[in-house]
Amino acid sequence: MAPKVFDVIVVGTGAGGGMAIKTLCEAGLTVCALNSGRRLRPAKDFRNHRQPYDMTYRGFGDPRKRDRYYHIENEYSDGLWEHGITYTTAPGTSWEWPRCHAVGGKTNFWGRSAARMGEIDFKAATLDGGYDTDWPVSYVEIAPYYSRVERLIGVASTVQNRPSNPDGEYLPPMKLRCLDHILKGGCDTLGVPYLPDRLAQLTVPHEGHPPCHYCGNCTEGCDTGSFFSTPWFLLPAAEKTGRLELRTNAVARSVLVDEGGRARGVAYVDRETKQEAEVHAKAVVIAASCVESARILLNSRTRDWPNGLANSSGQVGQNLCDHLYGTTGYGYLPQLLGQPSFPDNVSASQVVWMPRWQNLGGAPREKFIRGYSIYPTGGCGEFPWYEKEIEGFGSQLKRDIKRYYPTPVSFYCQIPSLPRRTNRVEIDPEVKDAYGIPVVRVHFQWGPNELLMWEHAKRVTADVIKASGAEVWGAGKEPYTPGWSLHETGTLRMGNDPKHFVTNRFGQTHDVPNLFACDASVFLGCSDKTTTLSILAFSLRTSEYLIERLRTGAL
Amino acid sequence: MAGQGIERREVLRVLAIAAGASGYPGFHRWAFACGHGTDAPLQVRPARYTPRFFSAEEYAAIERLAELIIPSDGTPGAREAGVAEFIDFMVASDPGVQFRFRYGLTWLDAYGERLLGRPFRALEQEGQSELLGQLAYRDRHRPGEEEGREFFRLVREYTLMGFYTSKVGLQQLDYPGLRIYGESPGCPHPGDPGHRNLQAPKV
Repeated sequence: MAPKVFDVIVVGTGAGGGMAIKTLCEAGLTVCALNSGRRLRPAKDFRNHRQPYDMTYRGFGDPRKRDRYYHIENEYSDGLWEHGITYTTAPGTSWEWPRCHAVGGKTNFWGRSAARMGEIDFKAATLDGGYDTDWPVSYVEIAPYYSRVERLIGVASTVQNRPSNPDGEYLPPMKLRCLDHILKGGCDTLGVPYLPDRLAQLTVPHEGHPPCHYCGNCTEGCDTGSFFSTPWFLLPAAEKTGRLELRTNAVARSVLVDEGGRARGVAYVDRETKQEAEVHAKAVVIAASCVESARILLNSRTRDWPNGLANSSGQVGQNLCDHLYGTTGYGYLPQLLGQPSFPDNVSASQVVWMPRWQNLGGAPREKFIRGYSIYPTGGCGEFPWYEKEIEGFGSQLKRDIKRYYPTPVSFYCQIPSLPRRTNRVEIDPEVKDAYGIPVVRVHFQWGPNELLMWEHAKRVTADVIKASGAEVWGAGKEPYTPGWSLHETGTLRMGNDPKHFVTNRFGQTHDVPNLFACDASVFLGCSDKTTTLSILAFSLRTSEYLIERLRTGAL
Repeated sequence: MAGQGIERREVLRVLAIAAGASGYPGFHRWAFACGHGTDAPLQVRPARYTPRFFSAEEYAAIERLAELIIPSDGTPGAREAGVAEFIDFMVASDPGVQFRFRYGLTWLDAYGERLLGRPFRALEQEGQSELLGQLAYRDRHRPGEEEGREFFRLVREYTLMGFYTSKVGLQQLDYPGLRIYGESPGCPHPGDPGHRNLQAPKV
């Protein structure tokens, strides 16, 4: 019997892969999805409803493992993050690269902020006087896809009419908490926006999913499926069609190419048995998250593709971007000292944001180009981290910790790094991972533009804290390690010119017509917005383009 | 659209599974301080705990330190929360921190001998508090005592970690999470957005 040939192989089951899988299956295509780890069983694997004292190490994790944990990893999600596929860094580069290898990837644990990008992002190069290149799509073109995604996943927010943030189709927002009213007062004084975030967290029942019950530990995974993740929102629909074959523990090694230069399948290694295998299809979608997607193409070298598949431009792996994250300030609200505890931290999410307010009018007015956003957080959290600000011991310490419990606030920034030639990934010629596959070497440094924004954000945050009648405790000395945000973009950027871009405006590689990318690798930059909503919208668009091309025989 | 009631039941089912799945029995006092759904009086004496890492003498000193940092002073403290057991368990699991604890305890005994003529572990509570006071407050810091301050910081950190992740600690904070709310909890002070006129808390 001839081996089965699927219509499409999708590598990866995160936001981009998940959307492609659902869209392709529902269009009647047979799909083989490869995921590098196992499936999750929410009731068993999501321990979010357990109290810390129900965990062996109180949620802090086994000290013998903790040194190896990524910042997002803890006892609640132990075992779901990638440690077998390693990576190296170039001299001078620090890079943290947390990847969830379970089915659904990072969507299982994401932060749920889901703002649309706008024309100010897609045309950033023109607006700021020519740095880098505009996206090859306009907002008008992508807006309908954003709407369809919002209707599917449910995003809670309000209409805000802000030039940097196109409004979408929203569920009712979460309510403002005590700390929000106080901080909003400070922001109003300074003319800084303080608004409900775009939050992909259900405030009402939506499309068969129960609303959030505000228990708190969202980032340990939601076992009621009340915020968007691939396993809860996309895979069930795909599986219902009977046309999806999901292969787990399948670590993709390379895309296979036939003699005519077309993709014919994917070679992978079984995570458990280390056996090599192949799967074949008429088209291949890679959506392994941008660094991994670039790695797969770079590792797909053949005689015809000595620099990696679909890399005639030499741009595969180039222009890696990330959000600079850091604590721009923290302090406490004396107005709330000694007040009873209040469930103000139980969405474990931003609830609110301070969306980009800089350089809104075309030519830059700040010392930096483009702009950033800030997320305020605070309230009665699970652990009183502010104890470090209170000295002493005994009954007084105990009373103070209780007295300060409702008061702490903290701010972190979301600053886009600019695309630069020096920020990139390549294959390390010497190092292989646990599966015998060459690893990536990451080159990444923050540039002057993002560091100017970081200083700016710290000044504004201190002003906001003071203008709110609050007290400053401190601010981060340095930004967090690059990679921390989990918002990498670039490496297979889209553009009309095959000499300078890897994919066309539909995410189809210029060189290999039946090879597509459906993750943030195709993005020109990361903007001040999170990536997930845009990944979903662009993946939906690329998937429908692929379907059309298959249907008309253009592939 | 499915009714809210069904969804609520689904949530409760998930919660029950999560609680049942927490197979870890905890230690005597953890189980005792953390047990679900019981309001058993706190004076029930648990069986004696055998330390995994510390010697009996060291463990007694850790118990004293934890109780001094979070005392039982009308509300439950480190003793009721089993904090010393938590510290012993974490230190036993963490070779990287063992020397710092062992050395710190030795340092503290020598410090007691030097200042008050007796090792920390042999002092009355007043003397023990006096020693900690020297190490705990910035305005009382003296040169040459950096190692002691570092040890105090370490013991305090572990004590607070143990206490505020225990059931009694979380109850004391009235931690509002891991409960079920029907809607997003909003500010209950609509007439006072600046929160400048909140009622003074009861002491």
